[in-house]
Amino acid sequence: MTLADLFSIMPIVITAGAALLVLLTGPLLQAGSSCAIAVAASLAAGLWAASASPANAPVLPGLAFTPLAHFLIPIFCLAAALTLLLSHGYNQRRAIKGEEYPATVLFALFAMCVLPCAGNLLILFLALESIAFAFYILVSIDLNRAESGEAGLKYLLMGAVAAAFIAFGFSLIFAGSGTLALSAALAAPGNRAIVSAGWGLVVIGLAFKLSLVPAHLWTPDVYQGAPAPVAAFLSTISKVAAAAALLMLLAFAPPLSEMRAPLYLLSLFSMVIGNLAALLQKNIKRMLAYSSIAHMGYLTLALLTGSKEGYAAVLLYGAIYTAMNLAAFGAIAALSAAEERQLIADYSGVGFSAPFRGGVLALSMLALAGVPPTAGFIGKFFIFYAAIRGGQTALAVVGMVSAAASAYFYLKVVVHLYMHRPVASSPQNAHPAETAALCCASAAIVVIGVYPAPLMRLVDVVLR
Amino acid sequence: MEAILFYLLAAVTLIGTLCAITARQAVRAIVYLVTSFFALALIFYLLGAPLVAAFEVIIYAGAIMVLFLFVIMMLELAHPEKLAKPRLSEWWPALILMLVVIGSVAVLAAARQPAPPAAFHGITVREFSVTLFKRYGVAVEVISMQLLFALVGALYLGRRR
Repeated sequence: MTLADLFSIMPIVITAGAALLVLLTGPLLQAGSSCAIAVAASLAAGLWAASASPANAPVLPGLAFTPLAHFLIPIFCLAAALTLLLSHGYNQRRAIKGEEYPATVLFALFAMCVLPCAGNLLILFLALESIAFAFYILVSIDLNRAESGEAGLKYLLMGAVAAAFIAFGFSLIFAGSGTLALSAALAAPGNRAIVSAGWGLVVIGLAFKLSLVPAHLWTPDVYQGAPAPVAAFLSTISKVAAAAALLMLLAFAPPLSEMRAPLYLLSLFSMVIGNLAALLQKNIKRMLAYSSIAHMGYLTLALLTGSKEGYAAVLLYGAIYTAMNLAAFGAIAALSAAEERQLIADYSGVGFSAPFRGGVLALSMLALAGVPPTAGFIGKFFIFYAAIRGGQTALAVVGMVSAAASAYFYLKVVVHLYMHRPVASSPQNAHPAETAALCCASAAIVVIGVYPAPLMRLVDVVLR
Repeated sequence: MEAILFYLLAAVTLIGTLCAITARQAVRAIVYLVTSFFALALIFYLLGAPLVAAFEVIIYAGAIMVLFLFVIMMLELAHPEKLAKPRLSEWWPALILMLVVIGSVAVLAAARQPAPPAAFHGITVREFSVTLFKRYGVAVEVISMQLLFALVGALYLGRRR
């Protein structure tokens, strides 16, 4: 290993080192300084990854700084930095203390940096599990509320089952092909039946992580119980990471013919049931949870096509979805006092009493609904375009109809924000860090919506 | 011979694990699981990985399961039943097992030179370590970070409030 090799995996080294540094210096520093170190480290890792040049040759056995890593790591790092900024004020209001919070966020980021670099099934599995591990801690980080602990326990139990599925699936693929390498395991399936069985288990395990419909039951409870900034991080980056893992597995070969039916059904049920269940929700975080189930259904639709256009749509949508959900959950976090505003009705009139944060919430709702000038429209457009080009017209029509129906519950929030009289007391002033994070997220929504060409060029480079 | 042994061990592993997940008492489940770990260790040995077999016994069956037992006993979740003193007729399984153990020791002592089959190629500790820390070195590092944060999380969540 040379110095150049070390430089190309520098994001991993920076995040791991910073996580340890925050843990070690935490007792000596104030909460603000730990958080500042964490934000600086994640931004540094992101900048490094964005400026380094990717190469497909492995740096260490099983670790390569691929073009996919070059695209995804900066997004992960930016999202982690925004989450840390959002949670600073929130944690102060909710008396969540300790250096464990920023350190665990950095650990999650470390695992996310490892994931797109993984060159074999073992490291892919470990990275996925490390991300889940970090979230078990982060979801239950609020010791003062029983719901937080309950959500953490539910996530842990479901996550352990999912991990068992994925591990069993990977070991069956290994048994069938005799190698752990990503490329060799999939290009030449020596023992088709065993490899397909392994694939089935891996897909159902990843469906847990992506919260696709038969495996979605944990999602609303966990989002509702988790602190809002953690829910922002969980709903965006862990989903994008799981989708990236599926993409890495699928990218070496078009989906096996046995895979079409399961992916088709997962996508169909997620889109329909996610959107229908969201229509009935009164709690805003549960509504967003069901909406994320539906959005993951759209992602699966694009994966199903097995074409380059479909994979490009997945990456594009991953980036856009991250910005949208960070803004939505970020606004919820910034509008919360010692208690969160649980119900959609609690947001009545907030658009006038807190114009900036209410505006960001409204913008993110419009983006999630897919209204044109926002990025949400671009993302949905490319997914349905790729699906129709890939021959999945029926599913694409179902997706479009359910997306149209979903506008009802997104716009209901906007109506409450601007067309109802305030019922609760007006929110306290926002922390400057929260304002900065919300500015970044909403700027991303608008800029990608108006001028998506640079992002699309980056996606093109990844898939070349 | 190896095939018969393998299927016997595989059956013991599977039945032990099934009993472990269906047992109603935690202590019984652990004992079943230990049984299945021992059988699994022998399967590893048959595959030519004596080091992994030793780890399986020392770490899984030994350390982790004993830790589990301690925790369950300390939390007093098991509610042990009061057993009557075993009758004379209940001693015979123990006697048979004793005979088997003495017989095996005698056979081992009689056959001085343990002659491994020609095809048997065990993996040495050196080969194992080189593979573990060279080819899978990254995985070891990722796991060590994960274990560290498991510890951090456990300490944080277990903090008195």
